[in-house]
Amino acid sequence: MSAAAPAMPVSRSRPRYLAIALAAMQQAVAYRLSTISSIIGNFFWVAILYYLWRAAFAQNADIGGFTWPEMRTYILLAYGINALVGFASASRMMYAIRTGDVVIDLIRPLNYLRTQLAMTAGAAVIEALASAAIIVLLGLAIHAVPPASALAFILFVISLLIGFVTKFLVVFTVSLLCFWTINSTGLNWAQGAVISLLSGTLVPIALLPDWLQVVANALPMRGIVATPVGIYLGQYTGWTLAGMLALQIGWLVVLWLAADRAWPRAFRAVEIQGG
Amino acid sequence: MPIIEARNLTKRFHRPVKAPGAAGALRHLIRPTYTDFTAVDGISLSLEPGESVAYVGPNGAGKSTTVKLLTGILVPTAGEVRVCGLVPFANRIANAKNIGVVFGQRTQLMWDIPVVEAFRLLGDIYEVPDDRYKQTMAELVEVLDLEPLLPVPARQLSLGQRMRCDLAAALIHAPPVLYLDEPTIGLDVAVKARFREFITYMHERRGLTVMLTSHDLGDIEELCPRMVMIDRGQIVYDGPFAEVTRRFGYERQLHLTLSAPVPDVPAALAPVIGGRAARITDAAEQQLSLTFDGRAITSGELIRDLATALPIADIRLVEPTAESIIRKLYQGELRFDAQPAETAP
Repeated sequence: MSAAAPAMPVSRSRPRYLAIALAAMQQAVAYRLSTISSIIGNFFWVAILYYLWRAAFAQNADIGGFTWPEMRTYILLAYGINALVGFASASRMMYAIRTGDVVIDLIRPLNYLRTQLAMTAGAAVIEALASAAIIVLLGLAIHAVPPASALAFILFVISLLIGFVTKFLVVFTVSLLCFWTINSTGLNWAQGAVISLLSGTLVPIALLPDWLQVVANALPMRGIVATPVGIYLGQYTGWTLAGMLALQIGWLVVLWLAADRAWPRAFRAVEIQGG
Repeated sequence: MPIIEARNLTKRFHRPVKAPGAAGALRHLIRPTYTDFTAVDGISLSLEPGESVAYVGPNGAGKSTTVKLLTGILVPTAGEVRVCGLVPFANRIANAKNIGVVFGQRTQLMWDIPVVEAFRLLGDIYEVPDDRYKQTMAELVEVLDLEPLLPVPARQLSLGQRMRCDLAAALIHAPPVLYLDEPTIGLDVAVKARFREFITYMHERRGLTVMLTSHDLGDIEELCPRMVMIDRGQIVYDGPFAEVTRRFGYERQLHLTLSAPVPDVPAALAPVIGGRAARITDAAEQQLSLTFDGRAITSGELIRDLATALPIADIRLVEPTAESIIRKLYQGELRFDAQPAETAP
């Protein structure tokens, strides 16, 4: 280590949860290779879907209300956004529960839900930087369409942030199931698949079977991808737009309250694994 | 006023019963059966501020469960518990500020982050004011010799180094109570000695109340004058560590060397030790080992009687060590008396 390393720890106190987020960010930087490679892995799907949809659009100018430029922008953004709170974040929460390391979080004067949010957010900053860089590069390469308007872009960013917390809450609540199921890998894959489908990442919700559309449009998952990307593309205006954001915020509040009540119960119901 | 107080503390776990194999798992899915497992069974315990207590017992006796009840991680099924006047599970966050915990098998440090950053994070989490943080850190760094470890991420530390850092991590917020759960597991002799020195120092200097669970008798002997032993969730002994030897050290051994071979030792001894609280544990050519109950017969009486029946050349009397007693207690070979220690002579 360099001789310039501080002799005595210097402290400038920071708000608790910010400090936790920053530490998680540092941790994600230490694992930058795995963080970035999992982001890149996501974009392989973009390539596959790009060629699939290109073939489909060769015969049709409009599919489910999408033009070809809109569709390729959609899949790029959808996968870029869904890369946040990825497999690694879910694994971290599940692993801590499974191995009993969760006790370390519990002996501290912290709210468990907020601690996990702070850690996930810290890691997401690195995920987002990597994802944004790839979106911009690929976006230029495939001629993605720009946001519908400046306002659409601002609302897109807001919707995206709400969507991020929504996804975190879904993953967090699912991870609590690890108190009962000892295996976490299956759980992690399952939640990934369900989110991918119901958020409109795999296929835009407008192209799902009618009954599934009804379900997907009511559930919180659409707020993770379909709502922000739809706003970006200018698909929603006026009251529809307001309704979409209201649905996102409504679910955010419901999920937050549910998650905050769920975790102490999960702890109470089940003993903590190991020593 | 006690700093830690538990009254009839009980924790029962509801555990699923699963028959082995896939069929068993399937049957459990259809018709789940459960058993109640009492990990902690009516424990009453009281620690004064500044006291050090060793909490010992065989694996699965309920030690870790008790610690989890005291830290507020688990909610007791019955009974009362207070730490620094707070009910831990009802005030987990407030209680967390009063306690430091070191788990020998887990770490508070973050794997890829320099130790100094992990300390700073803890300072922020516990909202330690800047000046106090600097002061405490300076002391911990000096006493635990952490200077060279500060820029190193936890994953590069040896077990002994990690343990020193974890101790500092548990004390950054200067808690009045410290729980140590198997802290010296896997440490070498030199590191253990240093660890004990440090705990003694903090104990004397800061009046830290220490509760230690350990299997290491060295830890117990050096750190904690008081020992609480639990078995199957119940306290079986609570008293001075030194008292254990006195109280349970009644099973003594006598090793004899005979000056001439005796053809049938048991037969020769039958009239002497018959009906007495002594028995032959080993008899070879000219060697003889006996175990006797020191409460029923003195060694003098026994030796005198033996001398009338056998040609004795040499005698060696072996007193039990604390270690052998505790090992026997763990193995269920010795039983605790019903009377509490105070009534013993």
